[in-house]
Amino acid sequence: MMNGTKVIVMKELSRVFHDKKMVFSLFIMPAVMIVGMYSLMGTLLGNMMSDIEEHVPSIYVQNAPADLEEVIASTGYKANIEYLTASDNTDSLKDGIFSGTVDLLVVFDENFVDTIAAYQAAGDPIPEVKTFYNTAEDYSSAARQNFVNTVLVPYQQSLLAGRLGNIEQLTVFYIDKNPEASIIVDEKKQDGRMLGMLVPFLLNIMLFAGAMGLGVDAITGEKERGTLSSMLVSPIKRGEIVFGKLISLAIMSCISAAVYVVSIVVAMPILMNGATGGALGSISLQFTPIEVIMLLVILMVVVYLYVSIVALIAVLARTSKEANTYVMPAYVLVMLGSIMTYAGTGDTKLANFFIPIYNSAVSIQNLMMGELTLAQFGATIATIGVLAAVITALITKAFNSEKIMFNA
Amino acid sequence: MIVVKDLTKVYKLNKKQMLELKTKKNMKKALNQLSLEARPGEIYGLLGPNGAGKTTALRTIATLLKPTQGEVKVCGFDTVKESEKVRKCICFLTNEIKLDPQFSPKYMFNFFGRLHGQDEKTINERREKLFSYFGIKDFEDKKIDELSTGMKQKASIAVSLVHDPDVVIFDEPTTGLDIITARSVTEYLKKLRDEGKTVIISTHIMTEAEKLCDRIGIIINGVKVIEGTLSEILTETKSAELEDAFFELYKEHNREEA
Repeated sequence: MMNGTKVIVMKELSRVFHDKKMVFSLFIMPAVMIVGMYSLMGTLLGNMMSDIEEHVPSIYVQNAPADLEEVIASTGYKANIEYLTASDNTDSLKDGIFSGTVDLLVVFDENFVDTIAAYQAAGDPIPEVKTFYNTAEDYSSAARQNFVNTVLVPYQQSLLAGRLGNIEQLTVFYIDKNPEASIIVDEKKQDGRMLGMLVPFLLNIMLFAGAMGLGVDAITGEKERGTLSSMLVSPIKRGEIVFGKLISLAIMSCISAAVYVVSIVVAMPILMNGATGGALGSISLQFTPIEVIMLLVILMVVVYLYVSIVALIAVLARTSKEANTYVMPAYVLVMLGSIMTYAGTGDTKLANFFIPIYNSAVSIQNLMMGELTLAQFGATIATIGVLAAVITALITKAFNSEKIMFNA
Repeated sequence: MIVVKDLTKVYKLNKKQMLELKTKKNMKKALNQLSLEARPGEIYGLLGPNGAGKTTALRTIATLLKPTQGEVKVCGFDTVKESEKVRKCICFLTNEIKLDPQFSPKYMFNFFGRLHGQDEKTINERREKLFSYFGIKDFEDKKIDELSTGMKQKASIAVSLVHDPDVVIFDEPTTGLDIITARSVTEYLKKLRDEGKTVIISTHIMTEAEKLCDRIGIIINGVKVIEGTLSEILTETKSAELEDAFFELYKEHNREEA
């Protein structure tokens, strides 16, 4: 019985692997694209960050108190600062901020120091420091943030200390003097949560996309070209042909998905390093052997399900164009089912593990956090397995239907 | 040996097909009580205008379609109940069944040999024999996509004969071929007949039927209107040529149907 299946699988695989163009477009190009794009994005982001860091902002300060220059020098804050008097017009500077040529304008109230010194009781005037900056300009936003944090806040503290003598009077108690020591976390779970949002979604999408690209051509394409009927007149069971098609498609979808996942895993740190300056570069995943087996089993049934969904649509469609149209809603369904893992932090309700597609995504998510229970795993595998078996039976039925195969 | 008994095939039409055929009935009787017998060592020709039901008859014999009524036996096996056994002893060639364009004739030959459960040695021997007969050896490793129509047809015939079938079913074997290729195909059909195979073909080319077929059955609107050797048909219709006979029968029976 399985001989025909084997012969067909061999043929389907050699069709793809002996075709340099197909190998390139299915397996090599996606890898190159992903690694290339992510690297480029990472490098660009990294360049942008270091560019902002290295940029020396041009800052204008109006009515600066006499000791401000000294304070700035003591903090080591680097900027091209120009000091203005109260009579200078700041309108052209504001235009400069608007157009991005000036980064920051700081305006102290007139008689700033005197007003502070004259303060006696509640209700007395309190002076203000106004900062003008442009939130659409990275340099300007960074300059404002740095100026406030490194210059104004310490300056404020020192004036406060001068007024009160003892600044500790303002502090009643501390919260977490050493914040690092306060965090008690399962690092595996935390990393798993990060990846748990991304990976199930990507895996699901990639697996389905792989099955979609290959399945339509392998079934509707063959039907259109008339090459499928040549197999129908050979003395093998329709079921063998269906199995041969599905298994070869599953193998190729797996390879294609593996290419995507490996490329993403390789490229992600490059992107992350660029985006966060290396803060998230150390995400790692650790699986126990049982978890690895569970993951493989989930992936296997999911691949088979997706391949069979695509195959069913492909066999019912009369032309490749039709098939590509009909397969889109299924693709959207897979996207929706798996994108739900973005919102939640892992589902625990067992009933939800009977919802196909969603259950595979959430199972992978839970697995990555080390929280997948055996019941959830079983429910997922059983649901998908039953559905895949039903669809396979339907495909075989379609292969037996003269209406579908010969439009008769 | 092919035995067709009271074969009726009814197609259900969908709305689009009903519009195309300008009919209000949602059923179309493609074949009506067709009976025929093709014996080993003869070429049986199904002759008829387009849409008469020739292809339907051949497809039913080749197990691809199921009879609505009646039964078809090939090599003693029922085409519905024992379809795999039937497919083991037939080859079916039509314009709609094609070889995978991405593979070479050699690969396709080996592929179908394996699907028929043959061992590599037998496959190689058969390939050697058939490829040299049809002159395929020069391009056996080229992709079928790159071959000319004639070369493709030759390759298809060679591949379909990989398992040395007892029954050969060809739907319009020479359509679209040039005279030289068409001649080599008809010559091979005669060779198969002389080897004692059962050959059944469909055609709408009168001269082909005259020259090639030992017995001819004419189908009009799904009904077999006459059957016999060429001379029997000419005598019965009092015609000098098959074409005249065909027109006489067509006028008579097409009117009846309408």
